[in-house]
Amino acid sequence: MFYSIFKQELSYWFTKPLFYIYCIIFLIAALLVASISAGIFDEVSAAVDSTKIVNSPSAITGMFNSLSTLIIFLYPTIFGMSVYRDFNCEMHKILYSYPFTKANYLSAKFLSALLIVSIIVLFIGIGLAVGFVLPGTNDQLTIPFDLIAYAHVYVVYTLPNALLYGSIVFAVVLFSRNLTAGFVTVIVLSLIQGLTDVLLQDPENRILAAYLDPLGYSATQYYAQYWTVAERNELHLPFTGLILYNRVLWLSIAALISWAVYRSFYFGQQALSFSFRKKSSKRALKSNYGNITQVKLPKVAYDFSFLQNLKVMWRLSNMDLKFIIKSRPFILLSAFGLIMIIVEHSQANVVRGTGMLPVTWKMMRYSEAFQFAMIVCTFLYAGLLIQRAKMTQMLHLVDTTPVQNWMLIGSRFLAVIKMQLVMLLSVMISGIIFQISKGYYDFEVSLYLMGLFGTNLWQFVIWTFLAFFIQTLIRNAYVGTFVLITLFMAFATPLLAMVGIEQAVFVYGRGPGTWYSDMNGFGESLSAFYAYIIYWILAGMLLLIGANLLMDRGVPPSVRERLSMIKSRFQGRIKVAFLITLCGFLSMGFRIYYEDNVANPRASSKEKEAYQAEWELKYGHHMGAIQPRITAVNTYLNIFPETLDFKAGGTYQLVNKSAVAIDTIFLKYTNYYSSFEFDQSTETISEDTIFRFNRYLLTESLLPGDSIKLSFKVWNKPNTFLSEHSPVLSNGTFLNKHKLFPSIGYPGGGLEDDEVRKEFGLPALVPSPIPSDTAALGNHTLSKDADWVDFETTVSTSLDQTAIAPGYLQKEWVENGRRYFHYKMDSKILNLYSFNSAKYEIKKDHWNDVSLEIYYHKGHEYNLDRMMDGMKAALAYCSKYFSPYQHKQARIIEFPKTFGNFAQAYPNTIPFSEGRGFIADVDDSEDGGVDYAFDVTVHEMAHQWWAHQVIGADVAGAGVLAEGLADYVRLQVLKQHYGADKMRKYLKYATDKYLRDRGNDRKGENPVIHEDNQPYIRYSKASVVLYALSDYIGEETMNAALSSYVEQVKFQEAPYTTSLELVKFLRAASPDSLQYTITDMFETITLYDNKMIHATSKKLANGQYQVELEFQVSKYRSDEEGNRSYGDQMDGTGQNIRSLALADYLDIGIFGEQTKNGVTKEIALYLQKHKVTSIDNKLTIMLGEKPVSVGVDPYNKLIDTESKDNSMKVKEIMR
Amino acid sequence: MKLSIQNLTKTYANGVKAIDNLSLEIGTGMFGLLGPNGAGKSSLMRTIATLQRPDTGSLTFGDIDILNDQTELRKCLGYLPQSFGVYPKMSAEYLLHYLATLKGVKSKTDRKKLVDETLNITNLFDVRKKDVSGYSGGMKQRFGIAQLLLNNPKLIIVDEPTAGLDPAERSRFLNVIREIGTKSTVIFSTHIVDDVKELCTDMAILNGGQILKHAIPQDCLKEFDGKVWSGTIDPEKLEATESTHNVLSSHYNQDNQLNIRVYSQTEPVGNFNRAVPDLEDVYFYTLKEDEAVLA
Repeated sequence: MFYSIFKQELSYWFTKPLFYIYCIIFLIAALLVASISAGIFDEVSAAVDSTKIVNSPSAITGMFNSLSTLIIFLYPTIFGMSVYRDFNCEMHKILYSYPFTKANYLSAKFLSALLIVSIIVLFIGIGLAVGFVLPGTNDQLTIPFDLIAYAHVYVVYTLPNALLYGSIVFAVVLFSRNLTAGFVTVIVLSLIQGLTDVLLQDPENRILAAYLDPLGYSATQYYAQYWTVAERNELHLPFTGLILYNRVLWLSIAALISWAVYRSFYFGQQALSFSFRKKSSKRALKSNYGNITQVKLPKVAYDFSFLQNLKVMWRLSNMDLKFIIKSRPFILLSAFGLIMIIVEHSQANVVRGTGMLPVTWKMMRYSEAFQFAMIVCTFLYAGLLIQRAKMTQMLHLVDTTPVQNWMLIGSRFLAVIKMQLVMLLSVMISGIIFQISKGYYDFEVSLYLMGLFGTNLWQFVIWTFLAFFIQTLIRNAYVGTFVLITLFMAFATPLLAMVGIEQAVFVYGRGPGTWYSDMNGFGESLSAFYAYIIYWILAGMLLLIGANLLMDRGVPPSVRERLSMIKSRFQGRIKVAFLITLCGFLSMGFRIYYEDNVANPRASSKEKEAYQAEWELKYGHHMGAIQPRITAVNTYLNIFPETLDFKAGGTYQLVNKSAVAIDTIFLKYTNYYSSFEFDQSTETISEDTIFRFNRYLLTESLLPGDSIKLSFKVWNKPNTFLSEHSPVLSNGTFLNKHKLFPSIGYPGGGLEDDEVRKEFGLPALVPSPIPSDTAALGNHTLSKDADWVDFETTVSTSLDQTAIAPGYLQKEWVENGRRYFHYKMDSKILNLYSFNSAKYEIKKDHWNDVSLEIYYHKGHEYNLDRMMDGMKAALAYCSKYFSPYQHKQARIIEFPKTFGNFAQAYPNTIPFSEGRGFIADVDDSEDGGVDYAFDVTVHEMAHQWWAHQVIGADVAGAGVLAEGLADYVRLQVLKQHYGADKMRKYLKYATDKYLRDRGNDRKGENPVIHEDNQPYIRYSKASVVLYALSDYIGEETMNAALSSYVEQVKFQEAPYTTSLELVKFLRAASPDSLQYTITDMFETITLYDNKMIHATSKKLANGQYQVELEFQVSKYRSDEEGNRSYGDQMDGTGQNIRSLALADYLDIGIFGEQTKNGVTKEIALYLQKHKVTSIDNKLTIMLGEKPVSVGVDPYNKLIDTESKDNSMKVKEIMR
Repeated sequence: MKLSIQNLTKTYANGVKAIDNLSLEIGTGMFGLLGPNGAGKSSLMRTIATLQRPDTGSLTFGDIDILNDQTELRKCLGYLPQSFGVYPKMSAEYLLHYLATLKGVKSKTDRKKLVDETLNITNLFDVRKKDVSGYSGGMKQRFGIAQLLLNNPKLIIVDEPTAGLDPAERSRFLNVIREIGTKSTVIFSTHIVDDVKELCTDMAILNGGQILKHAIPQDCLKEFDGKVWSGTIDPEKLEATESTHNVLSSHYNQDNQLNIRVYSQTEPVGNFNRAVPDLEDVYFYTLKEDEAVLA
């Protein structure tokens, strides 16, 4: 009996077009994903990054993972459908009385569905495998077909997940007899999965995530998170440990569900239903033997006027909305969506453990998960409302009423929009509740309304139009929803850009977003945003008219009938409406196209590549040409916040600092209108407004020591409603000189991918010169055309704003209704300056004789004291240990997060994003995260030394001198404030970032002294090793070395200092026994693999504790791709442990517990550096207090990919 | 008002010719459309009810050109399909309000009056708050009548409404139909001859998509007067009798003999008595005649 049901099921699927449609969708999706990643569209779009193997086992797993959302939406229509079919056509009433067992019935149904799903997902593998080798793909990106990699994905993830999700969906549909319930189940499951993803982002929680992820990918991620490029390209994913446990756990759950289904299922005629109200049962009696009635209908008014029809449409939409809101899918999805929002509110924007205040702009944002729930509701209910009458067989009652087609479509459309309003309203309400729960009472209701309904809503509205079209066309709500989700996801990926469709005007629903900042509101983003919204709504109306033409009324017509129906409907008013809308759509589209292509020429990414190549080919030979250098800068900038325009200009004093005469000057300028004039006679050799590069011949050569003055003017193209041609904001302009003013000489730049370079006949990219290249030390990292300059500027802005630039305020005045500020610096600075203008409040303080100011947006007072403390702490630390502060003033200036979430150090001026520290929600308790309002300030303030006093030559390793040392200061100041035993918390984030990012570096990792613009080295690793070194040689010794280094190199002219010189000072300060640390930390990539093996303690008769420790130490070097080497290796006794030769000092720590005021705290009982010379080590330590845990390098000062096993609990041995 | 059907043809995608060049005129009163299952009754009624389009032909109701002005017809159409469902978890009252809105009843008070009255007429008032999806077959059918009345229809189409109803329900149902049929054109399709006998002022017999006979029931009976004979035979002799006589129907009696009725202009050979003609005799005779043509 099993076999015949099974066979019948299969033959059902094999005759259904749906099965083939699914196969084709997945085949095409996989083909596209694979061939695009293998560079098949490099001809029409930008080339694919060329260092990663795209079909490596981990990449294939990643692709399956990214398609998993789509895969799980198969389950309701296959697993669910297999049982639902019998209910839907009421077959169950007959079937269930047949003589087969429920085991036969259920297993045949389930296994046949599983087989069908397996066949469909098999097409993903086929699509990928074929896609990678399609003609036109780049064979350097791929390795030969590897069956094991594919088999691994299927056996470990895809099939078990189908089993798990399938059994859940199967159970739900079986018992609810409702396909929608199955659909909702998968959405809820994927939301739960998203939820765990969010909850478990913190490195501490990754093991938990590895268990909880039902799809199992987090478990894999746990092992692969620190993989290097080489490992990612080559290794097969493991199938051990957490992955195995995860699979066993979830498969057991699947088995449990299946067993429960088997046990509780019976062949009954009624669906299982739940009700909270108790139903009273009564004997049902029929009483229909009434008299013959007189049929006398009351006289009522019927009205079919247009106005009445509109009213009816509105009424119907309310009835449809009521249906949606009362239905379970909506309730469930919104509930889960809201839970997601609340969870994310408490997790989002967490920087090093510290969150953000629940400001309204953050509350009105919702996660992609909620957005997804909303869009799925939109798709699903568009389908359900359209198909509802048909699905419940009420079709003919409704369709014979005189209601017009457009009223039906319109009312359903309105109902879906109202549903979206309800969901967005719930975002607002939950946001306000969350704010209240956090004790934050600044509810900006109008901002909520504008953010949710004024802007976010429209994206959903636009997709609603498409949903109505597709759902009307496809006539099956579930298949329609699947198709729409596929479209939605395909549009969200960069897939379209990769096949060469880059312009938003060609991609349905796409357009510029809006951005909000407390300082600038929605600012200038709205006009272009609404222009695109109108454009897409016009397109949407065409679709809605299309749906109106396609809409079924009565018996579903055949294809031929449908076509003739469309023809007969497409006339009269509909035709006129369609044509008018089409005209509107096309003219709006043309206007946008004109703006983006004709008025402002646009280059596709492919063209940009060619353009970058041409830049290098045409002017590359000027690289390194000797040019006069800027010695004095005097600029002006007039900011017009009302019209968003600016007019700027200034003069550069240029001096020939070289030993030869200079006869040509090169000017590279920005994309704004610019004009130039020299104070000596010149001849223009070439003026290139495409590449913004001019060449001038000096009539009289500039002799060594001579100078020339360049005057220039810069202003912006007039703004239009579609494009902003100026960086000025109405409140909170933040500009730096790179964005505005010209530079001297050929600045370099160009293509970075060697594969692409080869295509254009360019040589492979030369990495930054290494620090030992003395010929390359003529420029410092921050400008190629100046050393130290005199600086002076006049900035003007509107009356209600304050404008700020580096230097000291000389004069402030009002002229023609505008405010003017004249700033001048009293000492030479780097050629680096910024301009800010906004309505500011000012907080003032001072440290010794340095005046401190914070210019902030009203309402952002929360962390001003912390920032003040940060400035003071950094000033105190740096002037105590390194050198005096070079200015008399330090200022923090808030700028809108529109420009980013960062802070940046300019001379005596630190522009600081509103999203960075001003609204941080710092938790000062024991478990709180890092106070980043404080520590970012410390870092930026430290740059006044490490960048603005000591500036490295523009060679590899320079990042350490600025970012590495500034961050070192940050760590030291944190230690001062919070104590050495808290440092594990601070080091953890930096080490984790370093370990994760080194695996994604396509350049290849470098040792610290050769760091080449690699943030994970210059910030993360450099600060950790500098801090570790200070721990080894002592903070005072370390800072004394740094102080003599500063003394030697501060404010120096070329040749500039390098990382090598820094390391020389550090080496000199280190004893012989620790010289190896310099080699390991700075000059090579060295990692440890330390592990505690065994720890026991025994209480002795004298009350002492005897602690026995056993631990392993292993050290290895890594090459730039991450391959490990062990040199003249040592072998350990235990397992296959190897190590470089050891004569290393490692912290051994023993920790006890101390209870104070009911709170148990860990305290260090013992912390000593021990010299270690072998892999396996044993130690015995006597202690006066009871030990709880022990660790080797317990504070993770050394870099170790597996840091958790450094510590363990002590086992107590009873006497 | 008169419903006029001219040369209507409808062929389905699977090749079945459901309506075959059919022409018919139907005036005010009850019109019975008789035919076996699959005769094309439902196709014809759906076509009249604007639920599907014919391939060729024309349809008018009074001044309304049904094929080109569906909305006009729908304003005065009451349609009760052969089988229908309703939105789940909704009460009769709610659904009737919903349908009344669709049918253009303007004010809320009007809707309430109308809905209450139709609920009364169909004796559903007491259960108006109950979900229609939980109704018994008869109640659901009465709900069908209630919704049909909401726009005070001029053309009423009821498709096999009595199938599956118990005797009391059926009788009640027919009474209501008769009551509303006095002022409107009612097309009533059925394969139960008794329904037509009890109700209709005009009738047609349909099979294979064609009208086989269109007549007034009384005229039919007059036409058959003296031509229908009844007798009792041994079941084994049925075949033999059929080859010599035009046997219209046969029923077993308590003695396991067959009561048969035959059509004959003159007294047939055998033991037959003259019988009072029945509409059923007309029905079977007409179908048989048609079969003979086809054969």
